[in-house]
Amino acid sequence: MRRFTALLTVALLATACTAQDDKDPDSPEPGTLRVLASSELADMTPVLDRVEQDTGIKVEAGYMGALDAVDLLAKGGTDGKYDALWLSSNDYLRLRPEATKKIVSETPVMSSPVAIGVKPDTVRKLGWKPSDVTWSQVEQAVRDGELTYGMTDPARSNSGFATLVSVASALSGAQSALTDADVDEATPRLKEFFQGQRLTSGSSGWLAAAYERRGDVDAMLNYESVLKGIPGLTVIRPSDGVVTADYPVSSLASTDADTRENVRRLAEALRGPDMQKEITDLTHRRPVVASVTPGAGLDTGRRRELPFPGSRSVADGLLDAYENELRRPSRTVYVLDTSGSMEGERLARLKTALTGLTGDFREREEVTLMPFGSDVKSVRTHVVDPANPRSGLDAIRKDTAALTAEGDTAIFTSLEKAYDHLGAGQDTFTSIVLMTDGENTAGAEADEFDAFYAGLDRDRRETPVFPILFGDSDRSELEHIADLTGGRLFDAQKGSLDGAFEEIRGYQ
Amino acid sequence: MLLIGGVVAAVVAGRESGDKGTATKTVRAVIGSEKAEFFADPDVVKALAAKGYTVRTETSGSWAMEELDLKGYDFAFPSSKAPADELAATYEARQPLPRPFYSPLVVVAHRRSAEVLAAGGMATLDGEHRGTLKMAAYLDAARADKTWQQLKGAEKYGELTGTLYIASTDPETSNSGALYLAAASYVEGGGRVAASDKDVEATAPLMRKLVSVQGAQQSSTDAAFRDFVSGAGNPLVLVYESQVAAMLGQGTGAGVDDLTVLYPDTTTNSDHTVVPLTEDGRALGELLSSDPELRQLAVRHGFRPQGATAEFTSATAAHTAYLNQKLTGVRQAPVPTSAVLHDMARRAGS
Repeated sequence: MRRFTALLTVALLATACTAQDDKDPDSPEPGTLRVLASSELADMTPVLDRVEQDTGIKVEAGYMGALDAVDLLAKGGTDGKYDALWLSSNDYLRLRPEATKKIVSETPVMSSPVAIGVKPDTVRKLGWKPSDVTWSQVEQAVRDGELTYGMTDPARSNSGFATLVSVASALSGAQSALTDADVDEATPRLKEFFQGQRLTSGSSGWLAAAYERRGDVDAMLNYESVLKGIPGLTVIRPSDGVVTADYPVSSLASTDADTRENVRRLAEALRGPDMQKEITDLTHRRPVVASVTPGAGLDTGRRRELPFPGSRSVADGLLDAYENELRRPSRTVYVLDTSGSMEGERLARLKTALTGLTGDFREREEVTLMPFGSDVKSVRTHVVDPANPRSGLDAIRKDTAALTAEGDTAIFTSLEKAYDHLGAGQDTFTSIVLMTDGENTAGAEADEFDAFYAGLDRDRRETPVFPILFGDSDRSELEHIADLTGGRLFDAQKGSLDGAFEEIRGYQ
Repeated sequence: MLLIGGVVAAVVAGRESGDKGTATKTVRAVIGSEKAEFFADPDVVKALAAKGYTVRTETSGSWAMEELDLKGYDFAFPSSKAPADELAATYEARQPLPRPFYSPLVVVAHRRSAEVLAAGGMATLDGEHRGTLKMAAYLDAARADKTWQQLKGAEKYGELTGTLYIASTDPETSNSGALYLAAASYVEGGGRVAASDKDVEATAPLMRKLVSVQGAQQSSTDAAFRDFVSGAGNPLVLVYESQVAAMLGQGTGAGVDDLTVLYPDTTTNSDHTVVPLTEDGRALGELLSSDPELRQLAVRHGFRPQGATAEFTSATAAHTAYLNQKLTGVRQAPVPTSAVLHDMARRAGS
């Protein structure tokens, strides 16, 4: 029906002056908006399809974490490439004046608070009353070893960052917006709290999958909307306060007036009562229109809204503390194909990508380089020591520069050696990154690796492999490795190798 | 492609009003977010088309309008006189500027927070949904970093914890946040409007406190109100009366049954002021002020038309439980000049 209406308008256009039909004045206008969006918004696709039917406005979303998006915006990287911005929240954006200047209007279209989703068994065991749980109780349960959880990486995901702010504000005991002093004072408690974190992820989707696969993690911290979408979780909004995302559709100063008009119409359409109803029923977010009641299961009890830090130094300081001090460190083995086929440009790209990555390694992080050809060529482990971070990073750069291409491609034998090297978890986030430009041509076969993996004890099977598709590597072979080990495949054939390495950081 | 909307509107409106042959002019405007729904209202679109206009709007914070390049626009429509004067000076718009309607700043609260405030001597409640906020008492509490926990009755409600404050928009970019400081500084200055550097200096510590306690602030009053409606957000939120009145008028208050509207005993009016950038813009501004139908529609969206009060009073008769129609017991604080207000906001935010 709606498609038909769209056609009608075109007809009307041609004969506008004499048209005598019953068209309503809100006629659809064509137009595609390229929207830089938070990845959580992928669940809005059915709603956006309806918006397109109703208004003719098509949204082409490019997904990115909030901090990266704000950075891109501030540096002018969105100019001419995107028509609108749609993050889960503009709170962080407001701390960057260069980014704020690029925004013309902001229209919040729905909301979702940070929450904790807990297995019903755990809720019972802890004796919690879901309507009445505080962050301090969550902290106590973690300290008593009775609660483990997963959350997304605050540096790469909006949900992770909002979670970090919620936890820090609540546990610091700050009565108003966080200050640097509050963060310092709360550091010991926060450190203890993050000991309970068993899963980290660059995206909410993978976090949910990993949670299900692991089976032994008790809870997840994320937006209420994400948690409500996972069956079997008791979703708790801590009673001492949360940070809420309000999803503002934002128009950009770099675009023309016609584009901004379409952005306005997009926001207006999303705020229509029917659309609000669909949003809350489908995505478990809360409506921003008073006449629409929140979807089933969304408890309307009031919660304190924890203030978001008012300065960039506090926000960035908190993030920095999380990465380098509060969270459990990561241990990673980089299994790097340096077979003969990598000779030349491919090896050069690998070296550039790895060198670039050294700017991103966190303090306390353990990095092992394991280049391979017909077999593993060397095993070099470096730790980024907080007392002297440069020496570890320099050593990684030096080892990277010395890589040479030679030999066949022993993917599975090398992976087995990586697992042997890592051993048990040691209270870290442990993972293996596999970069290869070809198929397995030497050493163990795929089925031998499957048997090897099946023979590992439970703890060691928790180490995922994140393969990177590059050069002539075999997608199905790598996909199998990712599926088997609970990792995720990253594509550097379509995207860049630097980009793939960088994206994997969110999972380490 | 934008023309299509205009053409269609003209055809439809022309048919209904019998005004055949009236060509519509497309007029572009940048407006404060709280007026977006007014201009998007199909009846407003129709009424404007009947007068020969199609209005295309974009929203922006009133103070942020200065940052925009307004070339190609016919008028700007910030939410108060101070930013309007500034824009008028920049673009050499002729005074007097049309001021079609106004709306006082109010604080929205849920019933329980209003009751706790009243018990703490910071408010009086006139009814189930309406009351007065005592600004001097509130500012004393803010000065002393009073928390909700220190107020009697708050212990029953988990959400009433942390420092007591009114959440406002960012005073450096948004009008309602700036007007909040205007009212607060007027009270703090002993009933004198800040006019000099020295005056700003004297009230700066308290103003800074009112702002810094909030952390990151919303950039538009619309967003602040939406957060409140969606159940997120703070116990006390500064909004325009028009937003509340519009919601009540549309009968869309189901989600906020326990809404209580607190009128600060010293408040500021938001004088929605048109800054004409072209002759069409000026004509439109005057039309909004004088046309009975458009005035009526402004009332539908909660605004108080300048001049007569009867339109607002009769239209909101059903909502006197929430609205203080005659603004009884509410004093209007004069607003400092734009330069002073700007300075005040800048210092409060630093």
